Amino acid sequence: MPSYAAPRRDFSFLLFELFGAEALWAADPATAHVDRALAEAVIEGAARLAEDVFLPLNGRGDEEGCSIENGVVRTPSGFADAYRAFAEGGWGALGGDPAHEGQGMPKMLTVAVEEMMFAANSALYLYPALTAGASLLLAAHADEATRARWLPALYAGRFTGTMCLTEAHAGSDVGLLRTRAEPRPDGRYAITGTKIFITGGEHDLAENIVHLVLARLPDAPPGTRGISLFLVPKFLLAEDGSLGPRNAVAAGSLEHKMGIRGSATCVMNFDGAMGWLIGEPNRGLACMFTMMNYERLSIGLQGLGSADIAYQNALAYARERLQGRGPGTDGQVTDPILAHPDVRRMLLTQKAYNEGGRAFAAFVGLQLDLARSGRDEATVAEARDLVAFLTPVAKAYFTDRGFEGCVLAQQVLGGHGYVQEWGLEQYVRDSRIAQIYEGTNGIQAMDLAERKTARDGGRLAAVFAARMHRTLGEGCAEEFVASLSAAIDHFESATRSIVEQADSDPAHAGSAACDYLELTGLVAYGWLWARMATVAIRALDAGAEAQDFYSGKLATARFFHRRLLPLAATLRARIESGSDALMAFADDQF
Amino acid sequence: MPAYRTPYRDIRFLLHDVYAFPAHYAGLAGGEPVSAELLDGILDEIGRFTEQELAPLNAVGDRIGCRLENGVVTTPPGFREAYASFVAGGWTSVTGDPHWGGQGLPPSIGTLVEELATTTNMAWSMYPALSHGAVNALEAHGTDAQKEVYLRPLLAGSWTGTMCLTEPHCGSDVGLVRTRAEARADGSYAISGTKIFISAGEHDLSENIVHLVLARLPDAPAGTRGISMFIVPKYLPDAQGAPGARNGVSCLAIEEKMGIHGNATCMLAFDDATGFLVGPENGGMRCMFTMMNAARLVVGIQGLGQSEAAYQASLAYALDREQMRALSGPQAPARPADPIIVHPDVRRMLLTQKALAEGGRALVYFAALQADLAQRAADPEARAEAGRCLDLLTPVVKGFLTEVAQETTSLALQIFGGHGYIREHGVEQFMRDVRIAAIYEGTTQIQALDLLGRKVLGDGGKALLALGAGMEEECARIAALPELAAEVAALRPLLQEWGELAVSIGGRAAQDPDEIGAASVDFLMYSGWILTAWCWLRMLAACATLDPDDPFVIGKRRSGAFFFRRLLPRTRALAATLRDGAETLTALPAESFHH
Repeated sequence: MPSYAAPRRDFSFLLFELFGAEALWAADPATAHVDRALAEAVIEGAARLAEDVFLPLNGRGDEEGCSIENGVVRTPSGFADAYRAFAEGGWGALGGDPAHEGQGMPKMLTVAVEEMMFAANSALYLYPALTAGASLLLAAHADEATRARWLPALYAGRFTGTMCLTEAHAGSDVGLLRTRAEPRPDGRYAITGTKIFITGGEHDLAENIVHLVLARLPDAPPGTRGISLFLVPKFLLAEDGSLGPRNAVAAGSLEHKMGIRGSATCVMNFDGAMGWLIGEPNRGLACMFTMMNYERLSIGLQGLGSADIAYQNALAYARERLQGRGPGTDGQVTDPILAHPDVRRMLLTQKAYNEGGRAFAAFVGLQLDLARSGRDEATVAEARDLVAFLTPVAKAYFTDRGFEGCVLAQQVLGGHGYVQEWGLEQYVRDSRIAQIYEGTNGIQAMDLAERKTARDGGRLAAVFAARMHRTLGEGCAEEFVASLSAAIDHFESATRSIVEQADSDPAHAGSAACDYLELTGLVAYGWLWARMATVAIRALDAGAEAQDFYSGKLATARFFHRRLLPLAATLRARIESGSDALMAFADDQF
Repeated sequence: MPAYRTPYRDIRFLLHDVYAFPAHYAGLAGGEPVSAELLDGILDEIGRFTEQELAPLNAVGDRIGCRLENGVVTTPPGFREAYASFVAGGWTSVTGDPHWGGQGLPPSIGTLVEELATTTNMAWSMYPALSHGAVNALEAHGTDAQKEVYLRPLLAGSWTGTMCLTEPHCGSDVGLVRTRAEARADGSYAISGTKIFISAGEHDLSENIVHLVLARLPDAPAGTRGISMFIVPKYLPDAQGAPGARNGVSCLAIEEKMGIHGNATCMLAFDDATGFLVGPENGGMRCMFTMMNAARLVVGIQGLGQSEAAYQASLAYALDREQMRALSGPQAPARPADPIIVHPDVRRMLLTQKALAEGGRALVYFAALQADLAQRAADPEARAEAGRCLDLLTPVVKGFLTEVAQETTSLALQIFGGHGYIREHGVEQFMRDVRIAAIYEGTTQIQALDLLGRKVLGDGGKALLALGAGMEEECARIAALPELAAEVAALRPLLQEWGELAVSIGGRAAQDPDEIGAASVDFLMYSGWILTAWCWLRMLAACATLDPDDPFVIGKRRSGAFFFRRLLPRTRALAATLRDGAETLTALPAESFHH
């Protein structure tokens, strides 16, 4: 069975040495209750839950999967107990609104918790992750009575949440959805339609399930401007909040999937189910979008967490597996495969992307906190811009690199990585979905390149570039200056290409989108690695304790800048090669 | 079931317009030359068989998988019938030695059969592919008596073969093999030990199974120099050569795997099993490499096959699935949304697959040409030269085509979105199946060490220089076509750089042996991009002789342009990392790998 040790030291390095979280939290009234001791206790508690409770169920969840009988879904054995431990530990309330019994922890901290939970058991953690998204949406858009009625139970984990968007013919194109909402005389709505791919749509973990459903009112305009959002509970609530009668919503079937088999992916049938409108009529998509920045970052963390546990197990295998002799040894003994340069290349690639990603997650989490309650207008404005620009990058780049990391980890195990016994192939299968759901990575790339760069005239990209340039002026370690400057230059040049050709060639941004997203992520990691190296060099110079940790950071930073960052030039060349290599193609020429 | 049609047009384009196989066959020695009519006839037949009989079994093979009960393995429904039909069609003997019942056709014909079989059903295709490896080993190293008893039924298809190398503690490092072989008075050997990951190790397709087993004699030297190869049949042949008494080999377990569920991956116990030495004592590695080199090409072809199958499935979906409007304005105004093929990023994903499937096919056929020449060129020097070229190409075909297949099959899944992640559409199976191809028959890492350490630097760069010179000559010829000036200009400096990188790594490796391992996989991928680019250039040059308005020709040209402008730039990043040296990899102490 795979093992997992939560990266406590790395979290503390990022929060307190790289980003100076304590001072930031103290300065923000919304997070003034959080200090280093509390944050470390939170990380420790979550680490134990992940290691001791979530992890042991991961392989079994894959083997047993979920089952459905007469509309009743059973999760794999042990899931219900682990979920109860999660809920009773108060973990569902961690990032919740304090006005409704949430704990109001900063996002920069909760990203660490989410990463650990996803690492230990992605399929299981999806249930609370969806609940957190639903809670966030209600906190932002529901009226006070609705919030008071539903949020405390969601935070307490007694209820879970879902997002019901997709229909058979409406996936990436939400505007095509057909589920109907008919107003009833009592001010509520009757919801009718079929939703597919509903994660956590039905299960046996919690008392009740709160579905947030996109549907059309009878007079709604076509497309995305005619979509409204409804709260549709599995059980209606009595006046006092206790469970009432069953609502007309049921799971019709479960999908047989490549992975995340412990997560119930349901076809949900709504048959005149009772629903409550959330937000304004026809404004449902806007409501969904406010929570999407959080959710997309969350799903990104699934990629990161899976890659980290896969890395840890590949590393353990590489230390123990004796095959071949490393170069330069005397040929008499067999070496652990970690002695082989190419095995090191695979492991270092994983390590450099994982730790770069962890830094990026903390940075984006910090911007989400600052965007809500930064100390002055300029800070808030910059944070909002960075969140807007970097969220699609976090989702897609984490999950792309995360999947790649899982595949590399599997490769380190060779044939043993391909068989179920060692558990590595499960990470490859489980993490593959993260590149698809919550908006495919192609959709993320379009959001970045088209909406947030081409149509925005490059303003957001300039905010991010300026943030990176600032590091160069803030005493960035000398040996990283040239490679970081070159990387920023590639990013700015590619951005110009997208902005300048936006009018003359409407397909340019789309055809450059994935490369541009990858370039942005790569350069962002390069930037954060330069910052981490700078902190590490200072600590080494100051003779800080744990020299190994800092020298490891520095060596990994060097690896990233010399072995991975050179890809930036390739991505820029591809972006600047224009769109006709893609578009000058009739369909029958494929 | 995923959409699939045999890619006849692309195959014929390569066979006739690019490589002129019929003329090539006319120049080979030994046997009747293969005419254009015969070649097309073979293609039509195997195309029909694989499309109609193998493709429909792919999903059921995955869903039902193999079952083991009391040592008996049952393959998925339909596998037996398809195998019987394959045997009846004579496909198991196509390239075999006529003296032992083979048809004596050149190796490239076998490549065609392997390609279409693995494209339609990778798990099924492994049963005959493993037999083919055993055939190669016995043809090269068996005695006439062994050929009579074992080779004949293997070629006839009534028996199948396996390769038994891996043991629990011994995978990439074959020298660690512990299975023992003790000489008996009658000249046979008693084989004892446990082998794992044995593909097609036990099944219900054939009346007997011929295991080729690596084991150690009692006095054998340590490491790879002390390994011998043995024939260990499941049933010992009786005096007439028919399967007789059961031998001491049994299937203890079959692996639960990520993919290729239709192929039985077995743990085999040899318990004083009767074995017969093949080749000299302690000469097993050489015998194994005969088998291995052919098998590595086959695995590279598996990468190509799954790329092709996944591409076709995702293309059909992209033409059919309607989501959102093109940014340049509606393309299907009467429909609620445009087919997703209008979206640039969907096209990027499709074109990447297309450029790699077609480029990969051209690379495989180029290697097949070399295999023909290595076996049958009239001039012994030409045979030797083609052999060296094939040796160099083999790790690239295996490593590069299986690595890019990870990317292409994943792109196909991505085009399906959520529908790709569920079993129903069959596209996630391509990804799970092909994942093993980058692992077995020597992982990508092993291929890369073989390429750089043995094939490139091992002979002082001679083979690389010879291949590079041939490629440069072809570039010079193609440079006469003005419409390909940009592509020729893009490729030529890279050919130059390829040699320079090899020299530079070689120089560094003289100081620090870690340099080879540190550069190996990037060098393999760089080599793959260069070779595929060159194959694309040849395809583009062949287009010059064809009807320019034919959609196939236009598609070829634009796919080639896409390859050169969007994919070939990947060599820039590889060149940068290849110049960087080993230090970034070796500097980190083992204990600092933890965070």
